[in-house]
Parts: sequence; C-alpha cells; structure tokens
Amino acid sequence: MSSLNASLATALSGLTAAEGAIAATTNNVANANTPGYSREEPVLVSSDPVVLTPLTYGTGVTLQSIQSVRDPILLSQIQQETQSSGQFNSLVSALQQLQTNFTGTSSGIGAAISNFFDSVNQLSTNPTDLSLRQGVITAANNLATSFNTTANALTQQQGNLDLSVVQSVGQINQLTRQIAQLNGQISNLQNVGENAGTLVDQRQQVIDQLSSLVDVSVIPSDNTLTLTTANGVPLVTGQQSFQLTTQINSAGLHEVYSQGNNITSFITSGQLGGTLQARDQQIPAVENQLDTLAAGLANSVNAVQVAGFDLNGDAGTDLFTPPPAGGTGAAASLSVAITNPSLIAASSDGTSGSNGNAEALYALSTQGIISGQNPSDYYSGIVFNVGNATSSASAEQTASSQVLQQLNDQNSTVSGVSLNEEAANLVQYQQAFDASAQVITTINDMLYAVVNMSTLTG
Amino acid sequence: MRVNPNPYSDLLAAIDQTQQRIDTDEQQISTGLSVNVPSDNPAADAELLQNANQSSQTDQFLRSIGSIQGELQDADSALNSVVTALQQAISLGTEGANGTVNSADRAAVATEVQGIQSQLLSLANLTYQGSYVFAGTATQTAAYILNPSSPSGVTYAGNNGVNKVTVGSNSSLQVNLPGSQLFSASGSDMFQAIQDLINSLESGTTTTIGAAVNEVSAAYNYINTQRVFYGNGITQLNAQQTELNSETTQLAQQQNTIGGADLSAVITNLTSSQVSLQATLQAIGQTGQIDLFDYLK
Repeated sequence: MSSLNASLATALSGLTAAEGAIAATTNNVANANTPGYSREEPVLVSSDPVVLTPLTYGTGVTLQSIQSVRDPILLSQIQQETQSSGQFNSLVSALQQLQTNFTGTSSGIGAAISNFFDSVNQLSTNPTDLSLRQGVITAANNLATSFNTTANALTQQQGNLDLSVVQSVGQINQLTRQIAQLNGQISNLQNVGENAGTLVDQRQQVIDQLSSLVDVSVIPSDNTLTLTTANGVPLVTGQQSFQLTTQINSAGLHEVYSQGNNITSFITSGQLGGTLQARDQQIPAVENQLDTLAAGLANSVNAVQVAGFDLNGDAGTDLFTPPPAGGTGAAASLSVAITNPSLIAASSDGTSGSNGNAEALYALSTQGIISGQNPSDYYSGIVFNVGNATSSASAEQTASSQVLQQLNDQNSTVSGVSLNEEAANLVQYQQAFDASAQVITTINDMLYAVVNMSTLTG
Repeated sequence: MRVNPNPYSDLLAAIDQTQQRIDTDEQQISTGLSVNVPSDNPAADAELLQNANQSSQTDQFLRSIGSIQGELQDADSALNSVVTALQQAISLGTEGANGTVNSADRAAVATEVQGIQSQLLSLANLTYQGSYVFAGTATQTAAYILNPSSPSGVTYAGNNGVNKVTVGSNSSLQVNLPGSQLFSASGSDMFQAIQDLINSLESGTTTTIGAAVNEVSAAYNYINTQRVFYGNGITQLNAQQTELNSETTQLAQQQNTIGGADLSAVITNLTSSQVSLQATLQAIGQTGQIDLFDYLK
C-alpha cells in the first residue's frame, strides 16, 4: 500500500517541477527581446510508477529537461537566404555607387562626346576661324577629362571595394574563431547531458552573421558542427577555426586564400561574394567598355586627322595621344596631343579654307566606329548595362530580403517568445505550484491527525 | 496555431519600404523626372541619352545654319550687284556701239566701264569673316588680282574647291561656288568680256564693240543662272531651320514622355504612401501595448 510520506514526495515533485517550469518561463520573458533567442519549454514527464501488487501508484512528475524550441530546417533556410541577401546588399550598394558616374544627360562622357562633335560641326562652317579651332581642342580636352574622371572614379571604387574585402575577411576570421569557441562550450555541456540551448542560440546568431558575409555550409555532427564555404573549404571544424588570409595580386587587389589556396573565385555569396562580384566583374566590365570607347574614338579621330591638313597646309597629326595597344587603360589615360589650334586638320586639300576633313571628322559621330556602333550609341549602351545591372540586382535584393523577412517571421512563429503565452504558462505553473503546496499542507494536516490519534487513544 | 509574437520587424520593414517609395516620389516631384538614375529605368535612361545627343546635334545644326546663312546672303547680294553692274556695262556698251557716238564719247564710256570693272573685281573679292567667299577653298588670299598682262586684266588666284557643311542628320549643303566656276567659266568669262568691251571701246569698231557687248550679255546670262545656287542654298537653309526647330520641339516632348514624371500620379502615390506610413506607425504604437500580464495584477 501507499503511504502519506510517498504522497508528500509526489506533491514535492509537483512543487519542484512547477518551480523549474516557472524558471523556464521567467527566462523566456527575460529574453523576449534577445536577438536569436529561441524560447524554452519545460519537458515534464510523469515519474516511473511504483507497483505494489495489485495496485500501481504514480510517483509524481519529473522535469526532464528544458528544451529550446527551434526548427533546424528553417534555420538552415534562413542561413541560405542571409547569404544571398548579404550578396545583393553589397552588390546593390556598389552598383548604385557605380551608376552615379553615369547619371544625367547634361554632363559626363555622353555630353562630352556630343559637344566634341558639335564643335567640329561648328568648325566646318568656318574652318579658318581660330576660335572655332580652339573650341574643338577645348571640347577634346573636356572629352578626355570626362573619360579620365569616370575611369578614375571606377578605379577608386574598386579600391574601396578591395578594402572592404580585407575587412570582410577579418570579420569572417573573428566569427569563425567565436564559432569554434562556442562549439567547445556546447560540446562540453552536451557531453554531460546539459541543455546548451542559449549557447546554441548564440552560435546560430554568429553563423547567421557569418552567412551574411560569406557562403557557408553547416555540417552538424555529434554535439558540434563543421563549417565550410560552399565549395568545401573548411572554416571551422569542431573547436578549430581555419583563418582566411589575403594576398595582393598583380592588379594590386587582394585575393582570398585558405591554407595556401586561392579561393577568391569560389566565393559567390554573402557580402564578400557581392563585393568580389562588383570588384572583379561589374566594374572591370564597365572599365573595359569605357576603354573600348575611348580607344576607338581616339584612334578613329587620329586616323582622320592624319589624313587631312592643318591650317598651315601641313599634314595632320594625332589629336589624341595614341591609346595603349589593346585599349586597356585607354579611358584613364586619354589626353589631347596638341595645344595649337592651327594643328586641327580641317582641310582635305591643303588649303586653309577647306573644311572637307572637318566634315570627315564630324561624320565619325554617326559611323559605327566602336564595335559597329556610333560613339553616342555605344555610350548609351554602357549606361544601359550599368542601369540594368543595378536595377536587376535591386530587384533580387528586394526579393531576397522579403524571403528572409518571411523566413524570420516563420522562425519567430516557432521560436519567438510570446508574452501572452508566457503569462498563461506562468498562471498555469503558479496554480500547479499552489495546488502542490496545498496538497502538502493537507498531507501535513493528515499526518498531524495520525500523530495525534495515538495521543488520543493513549 | 502559434502566431509570430514579434510583428515589429515586419512593421519596420513596411516602414522602410514605404519610406523608400516616399523618397522616390519626392525625388520625382523635386526633379520633375521619372528617371533620375539609370537603374530607375535603364532602357528609358539610354533613350534619354540618345535624345540628349540628338538635341545637342539639332542645336548645333541650327547654330551652323546661322553661321552659314550670313555668308550665303552676302554672296547672293554680291552676285546681285554683279548682275546689276553687268547690266549697266551692257547698256553702256550698247551706247558705245551706236555709230553716231564719237571716239571721245566712247573713251568716256570706256572709263565708265573701267569703273564697273573695278567694282566687279571688288565684288568678286567679297570677304566674309576674313575669308574670300569666291576663292574656292583658298579663302585666305584674294580670289582675283589685277594683272594688266593677262588678257582678261585679272588672274584667278583661288582654286576649284568647294565646302560642304552638315546641317542635318542626313543633310549637307554645299556652301560656296568658286570664282573659276562663277566668273571665269570658259565661254562666259565675265572679266574677259568686260576687258574686251573696254578694249573695243577704246580702240575698236562698232562691230567689235557689238561683239564685246554680246560677250558681256553671255556672262550676264550665265551668272544669272549661277546665282540661283545661293538663292537655293538660302531657301534650303530656311527650310532646314524650320524642320530642325520642330525637331527640337519634338525631342523635348519625347524627352518629357520618356523621362518626365507624371506629377499627378506621383502626388497621388505620395499621398497614399503617406497614409500607409501613418497607418503603420499607428499599428506599431498600438501593437503590444497590452498583453496578458496586464490582467494578472
């Protein structure tokens, strides 16, 4: 048969379990606003019963564990989406900065090209007029300066992005160190069967931060986890983190290395991926197009110049300093080779009054001299490409941040602390606590009654 | 079912989005443009660049036309004077060819024709902004120089070159006729005819004077037909000017269609964004003000 003492023990288990549950609730309430915190649930199980034939008695309740509520699949989706969100954030920010060099129609290379050809057209109305000739030289100088300014701005932006690559690598190293450290703490706790919930939450937070920087894959293993980049370069294995390093390449830009291997081209996601994409693909592509335009324009103008005659009847010479062979760096180095306005080769027959060569120069404005397109159209094409890249990256950024937002909402639905829920739990556990306490009081009364019974009879 | 207990991040994201729309609308209102950076509408932005290039070209064509017009008008009026002078020479020659006129009178007529000759020389050496208009492309030296040893009394120092100026996307205009073609064309050489007239008045017969008058008449007729070149040029320029002006208007309209902000739509959007922003802010203000804890006191 059972005893009052056993009932007392059962009541006590209820009291203890309620205390533990209230502790979990309190912790939830306290962490209601802690980023990355997953709410905890007390796991209550009924204690093993005692069998006293023919009866089986329950022995109360056990607070088996306090468990963090989280959905691993959701967390891994969040981590994935954080990577692309990080990538688009840095890419869009770089592209938006890039497109400021191509904004507006009244200034910049486009206007400078128009102005140059306009000045040539004006010269052909009076080819001996020195002020009109000076006008052509001034317009050519402005054109060269526009190319130089834009090319330099691009180079500078590339340099800033390069700086950001180095900073990102530093941040990544710091975060992987933290993760390795947390791995150690978590496995220590879990090895002795403790709940490492809050540390796991912290680690998840750091992994999310890391995901916003670089593409990482998380491979969970017993009580710990391994992090690699998307192509398998290890970042963290258990309690060891592998530091990334940077080395300067021939172009003066930093490449990312892991244990001696250049992994730059494998980093495609996260903020670092986006930065690299802007630094190594988008900006060089625009630079390349500007070089093609600058070199094509300079070479074509020079070819017409040398075919004509200047104001003195001498054969024309280059108007622009010949661009580098192959065109690389042409935009940055474009410059006007002559300062004397009489050296503009407007004449096609050697007499100063002829404008035939000025007309030939002007005709370049409508000829497909740059990859089959006229200079203005080619330039419009560059601006279209920049605008299009920016706008599609922005669209992807918006989409990605919306997906991330939804995933975070979903995660919050699973793991977020609801104060209403906690209040209800608190009431529930408090009532359980009160009831158990009341049971103890009652048993106490009963025991008192039993003890006094002997006094009465004795 | 459990719901997301923390709607704040959603609400903040909504505020960000609305704020972004408001910024875009405000920028459109302040600039009057729907395309402020290339990414606003890449295709439209490229079109705007081409439009700007065309506008710039059109403005330049108008400026060039303005520059040429003066020269063509001066040349035309010079030729007008040439024609008048030649008419005068013809009537003087006809007077000299009359058998009743004595040699002293003929000499006097010859002197008058010499006056016309120097007038013609100065007309043929017309300059416009320092350039000799009828010297072909050799515009920096006089087209004709006096040369007593030449049968025509002058030497053409210019060349046969002509200049063309582009005055429209598909339109270019020849802007000069060289003196060699105008005044010294073989068979109707104006200076030769005048020199012959002077010579015959001074020492010829009524027959030679008559022949010289015929020569001058031929030159007169020839120049009269050549003069049309300048008249046509001026007409073409005026027509081109009209066309370019309407092109400028069209380009401006096109620019507005491609890149102008639809202000009434933008303002409507702005108003609705502001309302939605207010609603979101209000939602944030009210969300979470009350939870179950408030009732457990």
